[in-house]
Parts: sequence; C-alpha cells; structure tokens
Amino acid sequence: MRNNVFKIVCWSALLLLGSCVKDEDSNSNEVKFYIPNNFPQPVYTFANNEITQSGFELGRKLFYDPILSRDSSISCGNCHQQNVAFANADHRLSHGVDGLNGTRNSPALFNLAWYPSFFWDGGVTNIEVQAAAPIVNPIEMDETIANCVMKLSRSKTYPKLFKNAFGNDSITSKKMLLALTQFMTALISADSKYDQYVAGKVQLTSNEKSGLDLFRQKCESCHKEPLFSDRSYRNNGLDFSFGKDAGRAHITSLASDSGKFTVPSLRNVALTYPYMHDGRMKDLTAVMNHYSNGVKPSSTLDSLLQGGIPLSNQEKLDIISFLNTLTDNTFINDRRFSEVQ
Amino acid sequence: MKFSKLLYLALISITLFFTACKKDDDSPKTYETGDVSVEFENVVGSVHVDVFGTTNYTNQMGEQFTVTKLKYYITNVELLKEDGSYYKVPESYYLIDESVTSMHKALLTDIPGGVYKGIRYMVGVDSTRNVSGAQEGALDIGNDMFWTWNSGYIFFKMEGTSTASSSGDLTFHIGGFKSSLNQAAMRTVTLSFGSSTLTVDGAREAEVHIIADLLDMFKTPTDISFATLNFVMMPGANAMKLADNYVDMFTFDHIHNGE
Repeated sequence: MRNNVFKIVCWSALLLLGSCVKDEDSNSNEVKFYIPNNFPQPVYTFANNEITQSGFELGRKLFYDPILSRDSSISCGNCHQQNVAFANADHRLSHGVDGLNGTRNSPALFNLAWYPSFFWDGGVTNIEVQAAAPIVNPIEMDETIANCVMKLSRSKTYPKLFKNAFGNDSITSKKMLLALTQFMTALISADSKYDQYVAGKVQLTSNEKSGLDLFRQKCESCHKEPLFSDRSYRNNGLDFSFGKDAGRAHITSLASDSGKFTVPSLRNVALTYPYMHDGRMKDLTAVMNHYSNGVKPSSTLDSLLQGGIPLSNQEKLDIISFLNTLTDNTFINDRRFSEVQ
Repeated sequence: MKFSKLLYLALISITLFFTACKKDDDSPKTYETGDVSVEFENVVGSVHVDVFGTTNYTNQMGEQFTVTKLKYYITNVELLKEDGSYYKVPESYYLIDESVTSMHKALLTDIPGGVYKGIRYMVGVDSTRNVSGAQEGALDIGNDMFWTWNSGYIFFKMEGTSTASSSGDLTFHIGGFKSSLNQAAMRTVTLSFGSSTLTVDGAREAEVHIIADLLDMFKTPTDISFATLNFVMMPGANAMKLADNYVDMFTFDHIHNGE
C-alpha cells in the first residue's frame, strides 16, 4: 500500500510540475516589431513611438472600441476583422454609422510599417494620421477628433491606460493616434506557407510550384515579393473611364493619374474577397479572367497590361493554388491581435 | 581766492568734465529675454469681423456676404533685427481663430532682448510638418484644420454665406504644400514696423498689432466672384489664387512696447 501511495504521490508531483512548465508560445503576450527574413527596411521609423506593451495594448483596445464613432456603433474592428486578415469579410463595400454605405473596399491590414502611403488612392502619407480618416468620415465613423479625445478623457478606464502608456493621464489626439499606430504596425504577416517554403521549411505541391513560377513571370512586376506589392498606383483596366472614382487623380488632380489605384498586397488574398478598389470581383477566378480577357483600354492603362495577361485555364488554376499559399494562419489566429473580451 | 584753491577747482572741474564724457561711453544697455504678443485684428474693410454671420459685407465685385468661420495658421515667425538679419522663433506654429478670444494672437516666447524693426511669417504650414504624423498644440489635428483624406493642413479656412453663391454657402478651405504638383499654397508675409521699433526687454510683454483685412482675400491680384467661385476644399489652382490674394491682407498697425 505504501508503495502505491508513493507511486501516486510521484506521478502527481510530475503532473503538477508538467502543468507548471508554461508553453512558451501560448502564454507569450509580448509584442515586438521585427523585420521578417527577406523584408526590406520599414518606411515608418518609430521615432518617438517605439512599440511598448502598454502602448500596443492601449492601441488594441482603441481599435476595437466603438467609442471612437459618433453613436458608439462602429469600431475599427467592425470593418477590419482579424479572421480575414483585417479586411471586411465578404463585404464589397462597408457600412458605417446609420448604415451608410462606403465607396471603396476595406483594405486588409498587415505589414503597414513598410507602406509609404495608405488608401486605394495613397491619400494618407504617414501611418500616424491614418486612423483619423475613417474616424471623421461622415459615412464611416462620423466623429470628430476633438470629441474622441473628450470621450476618452471622461471615461473611467482610459485615463489610467494612457498614463501607463505615456507617463501622464492627459489625453491628446497625438497620444491616441500613436497608440493606434503601435497596434497597427505590430500586425506583421510573414508566416504563410509561401514564407515557410522560401525559408526551406516546407515543400509546395506541384500546382503551387507551377503557380509560383507563373506568378514570377506574369504578376511579379506589380505584386513584388516579399510584400507582394510595389505600392505604386496603376490603372489595371477595370473601366474605360473613371468618372465614378478617379483614384489617385483625386489626390493629385492630374489627368494622368485618373483610374490609377494602389497595387494591393496579395498576402492573405484568399481570405480578403471580394477584390479591387470597389470590391467588384467576387473571387480569384473572376480576377484571373479579368487579367486574361477583361482588361479595358484607356489612356492611363498601365503599360504592362496592354493586351492583358494571356493565361490558359490550367495556368489560372495554378496561380490560384499558389495564391492560396499566401494565407498566414499564424497571423489571423494570433491572440495578441484579437479583441480582448 | 588762493591760487592753489583755484588750481584744485580747475583740476576737479576738468576731471568731472572728462568723467562725464566717460559716462557717455559706458557699455551699451543690455536687454533681457522676453515675450512678444503678435495680435491679429481681423477686419472686413473698416470694421472688426463678425463671425456670427449677422453682418452683411460686400466684396470687390459688389456681392453680399457674411462670415461664420475664420481660422488660419501663422508659422515660422521671424523678427528683423537692427543689423538686417532675422531671428527665427523656434517651433513657432500658431492657430488664429476668430471665434475664440484667446486665439487672436501668436505669443512668441523667450525672444532675445533687443530692438526689432520688422516681422516675417508664413501663412500656412511648411511642407515638412504637413507630413510629420500626429502632432500637438496648434498642429493637433483635433483643431479641425487637417485633411484626413489627403494628408496635409488646411492653411486658411473662411466660411460664410452669400446670396451670389448658388448653394448660398461660402466654403474656402485653402491648403496644399506640394510644389511638384504646383499646389504649394504657403505664403510669406513681410512687414516692416516703419518708423516704429519693437523693444523686447524682460518681463514687460510687448505687443505687435497687425490688421488682417478679409476683403483682400477676394481681390488683388484676382477679383473673386462668389457666383463663379464659392467652394474650395482641396489643393489646386483655386487654392493658389486665393492664397495669392490673401498674402497681402496683412498690414502692420502699431506696437506697444509694454512700458
């Protein structure tokens, strides 16, 4: 009997010890900015805004808080959902306060520190002020920056969080925006099957490999690795004319920019349908068909797309197979970026 | 009188005389660092502007208008020294807002003591600070003077009404800083104090009074008709036209040296 008791005690002790050894990944809450393998230097310098744990967590809380909208109905997280790489799941356009429809497809959010400009027309040139645009847009969150600061200052919880993050509890628009920037720049997506293949850790299927080769021949010039975009503005032949949405010309007032839109990153593209600046293409098949047969000429059509990109059906399938390898499950499941319930 | 006494008197007088001369050659007066309040008096012609929209004014083209908002940036302020060089006031960014009494002035602090004979400043925000991200104070985007959709500050905002405008409204948001697109609407104003001088010397806060006449925004070099132009809300040729007009709306009026 003593022997058995001894055994039970030993096994219990072992089990207890085992449960105390923490799994490093699942309990690691810490967020740091890092430069993934093969990525260039980021554009954002983090000067006076290094990511800190408290700054990041404040930014995350703000990102998911509808207090930043006029009637507390819409948060950033409503149109930027983590499970689809922070795009708007299955929405061609998004709706804001009072159910008003937007005019452009909600972009996915990741690798933002590497982008020199933001929006489909590049209108925002410093990520620190990016969040202000949807906040004040009457068809999005319809609030003023001054009201946001006032609401946060009057809340029971935020002054202390700002004090933790910035050293004192006086809330300014700058601090609010810097906290949001810390959250947004921490969203790094660089662990897809493609990334693991490039690092030599996994194999691609033969279709995926064919797709990658085709991609490098036919898509790379605009959707450049490893960001999968060169962040230039191009007319990819969606329309003959652009009265409805002139894209980049809206910012520069140059006729030569009419119909040009920011080349989006294709990372996580399988998740972020529908596609294009107005979400008109419902799936990747439609996109392949557009490039092979549907490119419409105009004076500003990108020179690389004159005559489209001829693709056989098998080639389209292979490219789609490859594009599916750009889905980063680590990123979309990373609890550090999720809403804290 | 004894000769020796006379001699002494003479010697003392001569000494005093020379000493008195020496006093005129004493080291120059030192002025202490102080503050200067540059007060902007916003007028329409001869009357102070009413931003409650209850007063009717007439522009150069004979069109009626009212004013409901008047805000503009005064930045990069410099004071002209007696030797002809300028003292650049560091980090000088001020927002003038007619609807807020405390915002009718640019308070220049820690100005080196001395005598100044003119002032130079930018109406607008320099290109670097248009893209420097989230900022505080006058450049806080919570001041409602920033285009969130096209990163950059609104340099000059005038709103009001006019019966000549098809919408009934006047909306002039002037901005734009990109010279590559011929959209740089920043303008530099240089004002001499004429026969007056500004003395900065310690605690007494000196005041420079400048008059800003809104009528000049709509004339010279280009007369503006509200029937054809009543809405500007982005950088471009119309913004440039209005900036070229309002650059000469400022005149130096007078100085209080705070004595």
